[in-house]
Amino acid sequence: MADRRGDTWKRHISEQLRMRDRVQRQAFEEIISQYNRLLEKSDMQAVLSDAADGGMRGDIQQEMSQMRIKHQEELTELHKKRGELAQNVIELNNQIQLKDKEIQRNEAKISEYQTQIATLEGDCRKLNTFLQDLERANQMLKDEYDALQITFSALEEKLRRTTEDNQELVSRWMAEKAQEANRLNAENEKDCRRRQAKLQKELADAAKEPLPLDPRVQISPQNGTNMNLFVYFMMRGRSECWAKRCGLSCFQEAHDGEVNAVRFSPGSRLLATGGMDRRVKLWEVVSGHCEPKGALTGSNAGITSIEFDSAGSYLLAASNDFASRIWTVDDFRLRHTLTGHSGKVLAARFLLDNTRIVSGSYDRTLKLWDLRSKVCMKTVFAGSSCNDIVCTEQCVMSGHFDKKVRFWDIRAESIVRELELQGRVTSLDLSQERTELLTCSRDDLLKIIDLRTNTVRHTFSAPGFKCGADWTRVCFSPDSNYVVGGSADGGVYVWNVLTGKLERLLDKHHSSAINAVSWSPSGAFVLSVEKGSKAVLWSDL
Amino acid sequence: MADDKDVLRDVWFGRIPTCFALYQDEVTEKEAEPFYLLLPRVSYLTLVTDKVKKHFLKAVKPEDVEEMWFEYEGTPLKWHYPIGVLFDLHALNTALPWSITVHFKNFPERDLLHCLSNSVIEAHFMSCIKEADALKHKSQVINDMQKKDHKQLWMGLQNDKFDQFWAMNRKLMEYPTEEGGFRYIPFRIYQTMSDRPFIQKLFRPASPEGHTHTLGDLLKEMYPAAIAHDGDAKKYQVLIQGIEPLLETPLQWLSEHLSHPDNFLHVCILPVPTD
Repeated sequence: MADRRGDTWKRHISEQLRMRDRVQRQAFEEIISQYNRLLEKSDMQAVLSDAADGGMRGDIQQEMSQMRIKHQEELTELHKKRGELAQNVIELNNQIQLKDKEIQRNEAKISEYQTQIATLEGDCRKLNTFLQDLERANQMLKDEYDALQITFSALEEKLRRTTEDNQELVSRWMAEKAQEANRLNAENEKDCRRRQAKLQKELADAAKEPLPLDPRVQISPQNGTNMNLFVYFMMRGRSECWAKRCGLSCFQEAHDGEVNAVRFSPGSRLLATGGMDRRVKLWEVVSGHCEPKGALTGSNAGITSIEFDSAGSYLLAASNDFASRIWTVDDFRLRHTLTGHSGKVLAARFLLDNTRIVSGSYDRTLKLWDLRSKVCMKTVFAGSSCNDIVCTEQCVMSGHFDKKVRFWDIRAESIVRELELQGRVTSLDLSQERTELLTCSRDDLLKIIDLRTNTVRHTFSAPGFKCGADWTRVCFSPDSNYVVGGSADGGVYVWNVLTGKLERLLDKHHSSAINAVSWSPSGAFVLSVEKGSKAVLWSDL
Repeated sequence: MADDKDVLRDVWFGRIPTCFALYQDEVTEKEAEPFYLLLPRVSYLTLVTDKVKKHFLKAVKPEDVEEMWFEYEGTPLKWHYPIGVLFDLHALNTALPWSITVHFKNFPERDLLHCLSNSVIEAHFMSCIKEADALKHKSQVINDMQKKDHKQLWMGLQNDKFDQFWAMNRKLMEYPTEEGGFRYIPFRIYQTMSDRPFIQKLFRPASPEGHTHTLGDLLKEMYPAAIAHDGDAKKYQVLIQGIEPLLETPLQWLSEHLSHPDNFLHVCILPVPTD
């Protein structure tokens, strides 16, 4: 509706305008233009006629022609200018087109850059959020770490306090033990003195009574001293016999592996060997043969040394597992294990009263153990690994890696004396009277030291004798007239103490270095054990 | 829209055939013949009468020449009105061509403004445009234009270049779509029978309810006598650009298409001739 109405007035207006133009313009356009042209012409004619009337026609004509020329020139100039302007216009158009193209290119680049910027901004935002997350996680970890640090320091403090308490308690306990040990010592002494007094009394009583001489000797503990003398003579004879006429009695494989230690029991019937197979084997010498009696187990590493107590009922073995063990011989049961060393135990010996044990170890200490309480009573720092130990009533002698033999007073726990040798001390042995000490050292020399004068009495060596290891054991004969030792080449060397010369060399039957030798208390047998797991029994035939 | 473009062209190229005759009492050396010219409706007298001046200067002695002025049947013609308005107001229903008398002496100081150079006409023209835009757009559009754009408007009018003028003028004819039209319509209503030069008031292109105002609504508001009531004979002619548009023509459309180059809608109200 509106359109049609719009159309009406619009059409009306258009019609009206057209009509107006027709009337006002078109009717007069042509006429007016013709009129104006005529006017011009007439003006021109007027000018010309005026000039003709004035008589200055020629000049006027010249003027006219000049004017015409001038006009023509102006006209040509104007044409030229027009041409130039047209040229300018064309050039400008071209430039505009170039500029337009450039603009388009720039706009394309701009849009490209904008998209790039958008993507980069997106990435940037993502990285920012990622960074924030990482920072948060980092912060959390830091907090956790701080908390853990605090707990840690608290726990450290607690540990320190508990270790202090522990040390305090241990020291108190040791003090208590020492007190108890002192009490025991005092008791022992009292006991000893009582027994001595009793013995004296009985001896006195016995001396009063006349006794009939009996051909059959009765061995009884009361006649201990007589017995010893008698046995000594017996042994002396026997050992002299053995030395002059000893020969192989038997040999056999004793252990699986190296055999390190051998010992005859005081009763002379049993002997024990110990080796790297962790076992102590007991043998009985029957008519020149070694019959295996049994094996003592319980050690966790190889056996380094063996000793029987003076009664022959307990056997003490030191082992590489840092402990010494005691078995009862009759039933082969393990009685005690003495732990406490921090290195291999190289030698362990009963003290003369059989209630204490001294052990020397690779950890450079000697420990004194009480058998009743089965704890270590004293520890002395020797300064060097102890290879062998022997004991007298007051004194403990230990031979060390640093070529020294140290003499310790048991009560005072201190070194009384030190002897220096030329080589590492590998073995110690006491003579029967306990006046002489036999040492074997790595410089292949055996020395006898007089304990009363502390001088070297004899030195034994032989061209083929080489000390094979740090634990090569040598020993006296029961009558102290001979000394026997095993060499690295497998030979058993026997020296005569009185002459100082090599008496016998038994070099067959051993194929590897000899670790230890032992002379039976009766003097009839010598047993040597070697690295190659063999044990050879020598006897006089 | 093509029709609208044609309307604009017709308005721009409207011409009035005029005959300029020198005042008889002016002393001349020789007889001054009348000079005929087709005057553009949309321009101003002093802008397009250089040829007239040159023609008549040939006849008049130089010492007698002062500022040239025109009159029609005794009424001095104000040069600052568009030529079309002057014609419609004074000589519409007379025989064509329009006879104007040219004077060189006795300039009527009380009736006419002096116009000594084209820059005066330019200043007047630009001030009319700015006034119109103040009514239409609160002067936003005209103020956003640069100096060269203003110059282009004037040069387009001076050199009679339709495209050059309208390249700039179309900006002044735009309005924001939510408004639906200009803020106020710039118009002037001229009448012969009054002392007032013209009527110019604020008038919206549409009512607050959204009802578009027409030419009739404008006249009802400003000059109710011009509208003929049913039964009565038409007493007045309402002329714009020399034609009488229908009263239901929308005012917004009229302002866009039938305005003069100075952006004003010049309306002439004449009594119907009684011959």
